[in-house]
Amino acid sequence: MCRIAGIISKRLKAEETGEKVRIMCQALQHGGPDDEGIFCDQQTGLVFGHRRLSIIDLSRNGHQPMADADQRAWITFNGEIYNYIPLKQQLLALGAKFRSETDTEVIIQAYLHWGMAAFSKLRGIFAFALYDIERSLTYLVRDSSGVKPLYYHIENGQLSFASEVRALKKAGIATDADSAWKIRFLAYGHIPEPYTTLKNVYSLPKGEFLCWNHKKDTCDIHSYHVVQRKTPVIDAEEAREAVRSALTIAVTRQLIADAPIGVFLSGGIDSSLITLLANQQKHACLKTISIYFNEKAYDERMYQNLILKEIEGEKFAHLVRQKDFEEFLPRIIENMDIPTTDGINTWFISKYAHEDGLKAVLSGVGADELFGGYPSFSRIKHLKTLHGFEPMIFRAAKYFTSDRFKKVSFLAYNHPTADYLLLRGHYIPSDIAKILDTDLNYVEDILFSNKQLPYISNYNEEDAAWFETNLYMQNQLLRDTDVMGMSHGLEVRVPFLDEDFKRLAESITLDVRFDDRQPKKLLIDSFADILPRAIWDRSKMGFTFPLQQWMRENAEINDESLYQGKMAQSIVRNFKKNTMHWSKVFALYQIRMHE
Amino acid sequence: MSKKVILFSLQTFSTTGGIQKMTRTLAYALFHIAKQKEWDFKLWSLYDSRYDLMGQYLAPENFVGFGRSKSGLAFKTLRTAIHADIVVISHINLALIGVVIKILRPKCKIWLVAHGIEVWRPFNFIKRTFLERFCNKIVCVSSFTKAQMVRLHHSDPDKCVVLNNAIDPFMHLPVEFEKPEYLLNRYSLVPENKVIFTLTRLASSEQYKGYEQVIKAVGRLKIKFPEIKYILSGQYDSTEEMRIRDLISLCGVEEQVILTGFLTEKELADYFLLADLFVLPSKKEGFGIVFIEALACGLPVICGNADGSIDAIRDGELGTAINADDLDELEKTITTYLKKPMTAHARQKLQSQCLLHFNELDYMNHILQLINNEYAN
Repeated sequence: MCRIAGIISKRLKAEETGEKVRIMCQALQHGGPDDEGIFCDQQTGLVFGHRRLSIIDLSRNGHQPMADADQRAWITFNGEIYNYIPLKQQLLALGAKFRSETDTEVIIQAYLHWGMAAFSKLRGIFAFALYDIERSLTYLVRDSSGVKPLYYHIENGQLSFASEVRALKKAGIATDADSAWKIRFLAYGHIPEPYTTLKNVYSLPKGEFLCWNHKKDTCDIHSYHVVQRKTPVIDAEEAREAVRSALTIAVTRQLIADAPIGVFLSGGIDSSLITLLANQQKHACLKTISIYFNEKAYDERMYQNLILKEIEGEKFAHLVRQKDFEEFLPRIIENMDIPTTDGINTWFISKYAHEDGLKAVLSGVGADELFGGYPSFSRIKHLKTLHGFEPMIFRAAKYFTSDRFKKVSFLAYNHPTADYLLLRGHYIPSDIAKILDTDLNYVEDILFSNKQLPYISNYNEEDAAWFETNLYMQNQLLRDTDVMGMSHGLEVRVPFLDEDFKRLAESITLDVRFDDRQPKKLLIDSFADILPRAIWDRSKMGFTFPLQQWMRENAEINDESLYQGKMAQSIVRNFKKNTMHWSKVFALYQIRMHE
Repeated sequence: MSKKVILFSLQTFSTTGGIQKMTRTLAYALFHIAKQKEWDFKLWSLYDSRYDLMGQYLAPENFVGFGRSKSGLAFKTLRTAIHADIVVISHINLALIGVVIKILRPKCKIWLVAHGIEVWRPFNFIKRTFLERFCNKIVCVSSFTKAQMVRLHHSDPDKCVVLNNAIDPFMHLPVEFEKPEYLLNRYSLVPENKVIFTLTRLASSEQYKGYEQVIKAVGRLKIKFPEIKYILSGQYDSTEEMRIRDLISLCGVEEQVILTGFLTEKELADYFLLADLFVLPSKKEGFGIVFIEALACGLPVICGNADGSIDAIRDGELGTAINADDLDELEKTITTYLKKPMTAHARQKLQSQCLLHFNELDYMNHILQLINNEYAN
């Protein structure tokens, strides 16, 4: 829930800081329609802002920024703490006093009792700023799965932060563009963390906290989260049992809400499972939202209905037509915050969920990454063989006209980023250089100077899962889901990314967790009794829209004269001939829109 | 007279191990010597790509990363390296390059850096020939490695020089010796916990590092020191993880042992501060950079007595060497250290003692002297 923002500055006057935070809050209003709050501490030059979307404790008691009764610490918080009730009980036993029924207050008390150790006790999706008055420290903290976003900007001893990049721009805090964002965007189809479109605006890494020292005006960033691996699960039967019980717990835990909650149902394995499990808890109170199209190839109603007939609650199905896409495209692009080639699907389904009166929904994101639902899980094995060859021979591949073969040229780079881009990337470096009319060496330096990636050497399913989870899901799926949901004041929860469930899945040995022939076999087998065969025994569809057709028929996207340079124009021509994927043209279109 | 110096390495920046760290410091030293003397210096790295360069060690124009391209390296060697005056081969596996350069340019001085286990095994024909006929100097990272070169490969002792490693010039050296709060919290520790620390690669193929012994010792020590914790850090493969976890449960130390996995360079010094004692009773360290890194953070060290570690602890001046197979001795030595916790002052003293011996300035001067000697003869 909610959106947050804030500034810590001794340089600006108090009124000026307050005004900037107010502007930021206004820019974030869509994600927090229910309430607004500002907290100022003149002495330290600190201002916290908050826009509220009420889901737990809908009363005024949930107003933020919030402090404890003795005003020892202040917080502005975005997200949900699913285990706040057991934590509250532990804290009550330690003598903590509470004034509300909110999870927000539990974070404050947890911090006051346990210090920084509190952060790793939280289970949920969150991003918050917490000001410890006594110690003169402010913490920015982000959840360990990176579901909730938090962007920060540090310049001349001033720290600013916000849930969306647009807020920092609107308030005039960071206005210069990052000169490399277009390169990253064309290569990945999104802008990978920690980068954004703005210079010196970064995303706080998941599972980490930034600690700002008000006395010194300096900061440190460290992780609070440690993956303490469980004893490996080597037995298939034991694994199925464990998956079953852990996912049921995760879904139950995430259904906690005082406001109406529902489920996105696409008709695939993951959303079907979440729907069936949620139904076991909520029965008639569970609302489902699904989407269908006039285009037959994309119509999943047959599969959705298989699940819906098992469900007791209200069912909302919405038709999305080409003309809806035409009508809303400008708004969708505006709502993206940072350019992305995905998220249109989430935008529409969030819109309908909101219109159907929901404030929170569960989604099936994360299962493909944990259980091998993508083609990359089998393709990655070929990379090991290919890396045995002399890398120089792959350089020539860039001259191929077919996209598929062109990507082979990534092998010449011998770099984990290049391996990822071979599996998931959009444009190859030489094409990016041509599109942007820039030097190839510069493009390569931008893409491959990232030293944060681990050294990949096994090229097995575990490495594929690492790529998919930490790059594709993190930078594309989760970011898009959050920002698109929030643009309709809707919180999207992701039970597959529950910390305990994820930890369990990762502790299962590779031969039990993955199957060469059947993607997500372990997940399917774990729920064989409730998941209809027709749902899993078919080719993967994903949550896909007929965008190839819709975009080909969109006059503006296809207007060659809109694009600069021969390369871009030739890509658009190929798209018209239907030999180019829509996402590549959509990327060019967005770059054009940003100019 | 201007000189052209090339340092050949397998891998310098894209992975982190003892050899890579040593090569970074060596490249840094050569880069600065070359700058001072207006020489031409290059670091050529076979497995790194140019994007892997860590810019603080040397400038991009002094670095070539071949990104695994052996033909690229071969081609460039034939074209450029044959004009070099000094070629430093940082790994014996690159011996062939030394042979080729020496044949094409006999005047060129060829040095080999001998680290540890990679030279303590029999050599093939090319390596043997290189060592016997083409190599001018063998730079050994410890006296132990030098002794091994003489014993195993019958290298001329006069050709072997000992150049102990230095502390990485960019390592963050603490000035305060408090236990970092964020790490205490991360592992739910309190300052009163007595923390033993090991940092090493945990590979199922390299079972000589001795951490099994430490796990066993902790099993015994937990009775005497109920507050004991053992932090075992470093990247591990899944086979080794299973083996370690089995041993941990066999010794009943699930509560005491914390496996952290890979540590980032950024947090390394903080882990040394978190600990009360560094223990790595290894049997096959060429030198053991990790020991001097621990000492540079004021952390006392226990190491094995049968390898190059002895040089790192200056023969007992900076730490204690024990028989790695003797569990009783290990337990006794750990007990002695834990019974007498170091004060911040003592830690600071240990730090300065370590830096006195293993600082980058002396290291650079030593290298310069070796180069000068080469030309004086």
